[in-house]
Amino acid sequence: MSNRTLALCRAAPYGSALAREGIEAVLASAAMEQDIDLLFLGDGIFQLLDNQAPEAIGQKSLRRNLKALPMFGVEELYVCQSSLEERGILPEQIQIPGAEVTLVEKPGELIAAYQCVLSF
Amino acid sequence: MSNLNVNGQEIPLDKEGYLRNLNDWNRDVAEALARAEEIELSNAHWEVIELLQEFYRLFELSPAMRPLVKFIGQRLGPEKGRSIYLMQLFPPSPAKVASKIAGLPKPTNCL
Amino acid sequence: MTLHIVSKSPFSCQALHDCLQSLVEGDALLLIEDGVYALQHQALQSLQETRIYCLTADSEARGLQTSSAPDSVEIIDDTRWVQLCTEHNPIVSWFR
Repeated sequence: MSNRTLALCRAAPYGSALAREGIEAVLASAAMEQDIDLLFLGDGIFQLLDNQAPEAIGQKSLRRNLKALPMFGVEELYVCQSSLEERGILPEQIQIPGAEVTLVEKPGELIAAYQCVLSF
Repeated sequence: MSNLNVNGQEIPLDKEGYLRNLNDWNRDVAEALARAEEIELSNAHWEVIELLQEFYRLFELSPAMRPLVKFIGQRLGPEKGRSIYLMQLFPPSPAKVASKIAGLPKPTNCL
Repeated sequence: MTLHIVSKSPFSCQALHDCLQSLVEGDALLLIEDGVYALQHQALQSLQETRIYCLTADSEARGLQTSSAPDSVEIIDDTRWVQLCTEHNPIVSWFR
């Protein structure tokens, strides 16, 4: 895992541009054949929530973009378990077809395994 | 290049030749966009164009090369899911050229 | 070992909270900008196993008494900050 990058996603999807900037950075890295994984923490978990329909607020669906990750070769998604529980979200509400969602009890141990961590 | 004349109608393009309004797209517009790239559209082109549009509907983004190859491979089989195949159809840069002809925005994550 | 850099106040932002959730033994925590207000926050008291650093320019600018901070907090200057960055990997920025 030493040359991999971790994208740390902590922003809810539509309240700021940060979540979208994060996914765009990840997709750009992956398109350039860089190894990158994602860790969703805190409100970042809301990015994964199914049934997003942001047309009425004039935005594109962030979840649809996330669903493209497996097409870009990004198939590992890590999710902070306590953040998920705090928000009353069930694992089945945040699945991405073609990707493996792994619940992480100790996000710090995961972070420590990476050379580079990008925060969004 | 700022306008494309199709059947007497002026279709606005951006400075790189992509449609300004994605709703302007139809098959005649696609033929005209392809001519500007010196490509004559065959059935092989059309099946890729239609899949690109499906990709956009599914993921709300235009694919860079890597995801395009993977998606085409999943739908049309390994023979066609290869960059050389797409390169022959949409030279010199398949992700950009095919997105343009399909009426999609320029792939943002494609440098 | 990871260096966590927190730059927002724990009284108005989740940064420190999320950071502490991601802290493992041996990690270091550096407080900069509004992150230095964590010196006033009880969350720091419970961090026995973590080295905590605070950028002196930012705490002085805000009039914070570093003398009342927990003993485990080391008050540092920019040079020491650079040194910390070279000693740790990865570096994680908690800026919101």
